[in-house]
Amino acid sequence: MAANFWISSQYKELLDQEEVDVVHQLDKERGITLDDFKLIKLHMSNYVARLAQNVKVRQRVVATAITYMRRVYVRRSMTEYDPRLVAPTCLYLASKAEESTVQARLLVFYIKKLYSDEKYKYEIKDILDMEMKVLEALNYYLVVYHPYRSLAQFLQDAGMNDATQLTWGLINDTYKMDLILIHPPHLITLACIYIASVLKDKETTAWFEELRVDMNVVKNIAMEILDYYDGHRSISDERVNAAMSKLAGR
Amino acid sequence: MSEVEKLLSMNRKAADRYLKREVLGEGTYGVVYKAIDTKSGQVVAIKKIRLGKQKEGVNFTALREIKLLKELKDPSVIELIECFPHKGNLHLVFEFMETDLEAVIRDRNIFLSPADIKSYIQMTLKGLAFCHKKWVLHRDMKPNNLLIGPDGQLKLADFGLARIFGSPDRRFTHQVFARWYRAPELLFGAKQYGPGVDVWAAACIFAELLLRRPFLQGNSDIDQLGKIFAAFGTPKPSQWHDMVYLPDYVEYQYVPGQPFKTLFPTATDDCLDLLSKMFTYDPKARISAQQALEHRYFSSGPPPTEPALLPRPPPKREPGNPKVSDLNPHDGPVVLSPPRKSRRVMPHREGFEANMHPEKMDDHENEIQQAAGERSEQVPMSLDFSVFGMKPPTRPTINSADRTHLKRKLDLEFQPEEE
Repeated sequence: MAANFWISSQYKELLDQEEVDVVHQLDKERGITLDDFKLIKLHMSNYVARLAQNVKVRQRVVATAITYMRRVYVRRSMTEYDPRLVAPTCLYLASKAEESTVQARLLVFYIKKLYSDEKYKYEIKDILDMEMKVLEALNYYLVVYHPYRSLAQFLQDAGMNDATQLTWGLINDTYKMDLILIHPPHLITLACIYIASVLKDKETTAWFEELRVDMNVVKNIAMEILDYYDGHRSISDERVNAAMSKLAGR
Repeated sequence: MSEVEKLLSMNRKAADRYLKREVLGEGTYGVVYKAIDTKSGQVVAIKKIRLGKQKEGVNFTALREIKLLKELKDPSVIELIECFPHKGNLHLVFEFMETDLEAVIRDRNIFLSPADIKSYIQMTLKGLAFCHKKWVLHRDMKPNNLLIGPDGQLKLADFGLARIFGSPDRRFTHQVFARWYRAPELLFGAKQYGPGVDVWAAACIFAELLLRRPFLQGNSDIDQLGKIFAAFGTPKPSQWHDMVYLPDYVEYQYVPGQPFKTLFPTATDDCLDLLSKMFTYDPKARISAQQALEHRYFSSGPPPTEPALLPRPPPKREPGNPKVSDLNPHDGPVVLSPPRKSRRVMPHREGFEANMHPEKMDDHENEIQQAAGERSEQVPMSLDFSVFGMKPPTRPTINSADRTHLKRKLDLEFQPEEE
């Protein structure tokens, strides 16, 4: 579907960084800062990925679920939409939308298994109720284009098949940021390939020049990804817990 | 006001905006109502999605339809105007469609000129070409999924089986389409297939427009292939190289097939040429929807009829003036959808009831129920009438003659107006 991203709802709904980095008024009142906001979304992305590993769904479902979750928080507050419920609900909805349905009771089973914390404990009914609210928050737009799709083709073309694993991993990590809300997916792919080529000391300048894409954008995305890796080292459990503790209790 | 409260009031507004009218039918996954948008005065059809026993949330089929229709905005595809939750149920608001192609084909009072047929099949192909350009396979093409709006425009509907394709290696189920419209590769169990399956189905619809009856009415998958081969001849390996590698391939005894001119005596040469290209065995060689639209059949005379001028079933008659003879099965061809695999159980097949007990069809619920009950014992049929026992129709069933004309759809048979 790479060819028709440009006529998709996703393309029309792409956002600017400034629109994504808005902490909802209700959340601000609880003392949630922009850093907290990003940290919670990161933590919840990991939560989705962990749950997904247990219920065994394709990476694409994980990617779609995280995209849904991030889209929800462009419009909704964490105070009224508890991320600990929204995250598994997004996985549930994404599994349906991506045609590999996971039963809600299976999710609930693993939630209980993975997190003993009461705050994570939600029942089937909670997920189903939240599903409707998530659908609404997404304005019922469910099709998501991901950077994975064009990866194999790009790597082949660039003669970088040996970097598949590395680049795939890099793309997985981009979901710990909001990139998918802001950039067309193929540019995210190219940014990851760019990083991989630099890491592997591959000369790809000529290949990139032949593509008719704005290399400045690609490089900026690549820089953001590298910034994330830099910042990632300073993320401790304490920081995550501190941010999470600002969320409303139930 | 908190955000949640704001949202709730918004939803109430969305629900209040529509003035609910009569029930139009019982769809695959919920009730369909006619409604008036009080803001714009527009008539709409609202599908209320039943939440399946609160166990698996929003119905999977409904979700598919929402997902794809949100991406498919075109005059040739039914418009999903909006969605809103109300009292715990999800409601989908569609543009209101007056009738469907099945009703047109089966109405024996309608004469379809070559120009009319050209217009209907052109609109069908336009819808398909649009979906395929968007990498969506419809997978359930059949006359009663082609709805016709008040302006005569035909639109593709019921995307509950549709899928996004595009990854070259994606495997799909071959249990799609009503059998009569299923392409030979599907009948041979192909799991990797493409837009050609929709083109084959469109060809069947094309043939149905010409013949005024379903073209290939197989009663099992094997029989369906037999019917296809009897019409076009058993494919030779030179015609369809990959056939023998398909999962459920079995060798059929060679039959020669008939000339297209014999199969469709009323069709022009251009028409037959296009039909033969759409009915090509090898999906790789089969014409695409877009190519079909560029075929000379559409540029040579007569030009396709303007949609607004196309013959359509007359507006529904007043109750109490039934014209039962319209539905008498012995008088002529009656078009019925073939039984489907498990996906759809249709307890209210008034088509059968009306045909068999016309004298009983009036507005009295009890008699209808009784009639239905009797029938389930007397006549063995592929449809499950046992449901009647457990779930009697909640509304008076429509009188038989109105049914044909009223069946405008979002899936189904119609119920009477409550005016």
